[in-house]
Amino acid sequence: MSDLVRLTLRAAIDQPIELDGLTPDRTSNMSGRDIATLPVFVGSRRAALGDFFTVEGERSDRVHIDGDLRNVDGLGAGTAGGELLIHGNIGNRIGAGMRGGWIDVRGDAGDEAGLGMQGGALRITGDAGARLGAAAAGASKGVTGGEIVVNGTVGVDAAARLRRGLVVVGGDVGADAARAIIAGTLVVFGQTGANPGRGSKRGSIVALGEIDIPSTYEYACTYQPTYVRLLLTYLYRRYGLASPEATLDGAYARYCGDTGVPGKGEILKFQQV
Amino acid sequence: MRAARLVITARTHRWAREAALKLTGFATSVIACKCEAGIERELAPGETPDARPGVSVLFFTMDMDSLGKRLIERIGQTVLTCPTASCYDGLPDAADRIMAGRALRVFGDKLQVSKVVGGQRYWRIPVMEGECLIQESFGVQKKGVGGGNFLVLAGSVDAALAATEAAVKAIEGMPGVILPFPGGVVRSGSKVGARHYKGMIASTNDAYCPTVRPRTKSELPDGVNAVLEIVLDGLDAPSISRAMRAGIDAACRPGVKAIGAGNYGGKLGPYHFHLRQVMADE
Repeated sequence: MSDLVRLTLRAAIDQPIELDGLTPDRTSNMSGRDIATLPVFVGSRRAALGDFFTVEGERSDRVHIDGDLRNVDGLGAGTAGGELLIHGNIGNRIGAGMRGGWIDVRGDAGDEAGLGMQGGALRITGDAGARLGAAAAGASKGVTGGEIVVNGTVGVDAAARLRRGLVVVGGDVGADAARAIIAGTLVVFGQTGANPGRGSKRGSIVALGEIDIPSTYEYACTYQPTYVRLLLTYLYRRYGLASPEATLDGAYARYCGDTGVPGKGEILKFQQV
Repeated sequence: MRAARLVITARTHRWAREAALKLTGFATSVIACKCEAGIERELAPGETPDARPGVSVLFFTMDMDSLGKRLIERIGQTVLTCPTASCYDGLPDAADRIMAGRALRVFGDKLQVSKVVGGQRYWRIPVMEGECLIQESFGVQKKGVGGGNFLVLAGSVDAALAATEAAVKAIEGMPGVILPFPGGVVRSGSKVGARHYKGMIASTNDAYCPTVRPRTKSELPDGVNAVLEIVLDGLDAPSISRAMRAGIDAACRPGVKAIGAGNYGGKLGPYHFHLRQVMADE
């Protein structure tokens, strides 16, 4: 047993590989040799993890990976516990369907990060692609629990069909954010793209930056929601994501919708002074 | 006893304190008030979940069922009604939970909203000023300690007051302890039951009442003309011991003849605080 399992790229990966069997809860009872033999798919060809990475350590639920993994898809999918730390960029579907644990990406992530997540925390310090925390194809629900925090910008269709849980974007978010959400919360520190919250039944969008309110949302009032203060305080204390002081004490316009559904959701729009 | 810790926050310390004072009002003794409660200490914004000024309150009852009922009544009538106030759990690690916020949510008449932050569920209840935010569940400390006490035996009421005021000042703000009586001080110390009225749960502690010294089996030394009592409730026995030590140290001042305790013959509750042992501990 070692303190952590460290994987280091042997050489740059120049074509997409699928690595969805590597989760920190699995490595907690695997020898270094077993870890090195975990299957990796290069297209339809089966290979082993050890073909691409050197493996140091064994039997630990802490996995650290160094290198540019932008061609590595599915890493950490289904994680149920432990810690997965990636020093570098990562490809698509990081942490998809994860149920617990902590995944920390110190770089950018591809599309569908946290897709259909059920629990745990996924942190991305850079940018993320499209469909962050969205629903898997054909699924009626997206994220059903846990927290996704992205420091940078995020692509289109973020948090689609969110059922529970929290999705936070430190920068801007693309169009169709929080589409058809059922509950949960999307927080956007930067600008929110077109058509946010369309078709939402419940759930919240907290917009600290610019946002165009869809015409199917009705203005309720301008007030200071303690909930937002609680949420922003939590994000600062847990993730170090600092909010401008004004957003803690300031006023928010509350819009109810989507009335087209009809829905009981809301958009809380920070009122710039 | 069963204990809960509530963290009440508001826009300003004043409004957090107003809610806490109402919530802890008429909560001196479980005998008649059904609960005992008091302000533990004021909290800086950095110590509260929403980074607003707050007040920490400890709440005690004899059983779990009663704790739930009292919390729902009192949070509903004091925090929910108080402008800008919110109420959070102050015992997040406690395994036993009371779903007070869940019960209070129905005030929202299906317009309430539930939110999960950091694994804890909160209810946003619409009110005329905006929203009242109340945490869904509150942790319960199942081995809370009620009725820790010591007596200040003095030559005069002025000396007894000065000593107990000093003791209260020394204890106030200590973690895990409250003083549920007015100003933290009790003049009507009691004994278990009564000699002449069968229905009484408690009656005057005549052994320490100076005015009936010749008519009863008095425990008062010569020169004692007034006795005041400090009663403490705590989340655990060590918290009570620490507070008693600080309070007794502060109370030993001119005019005080002796420090004692209402020991009730060891018949009241499972926790016994032997003063010499309390003062010897560090």
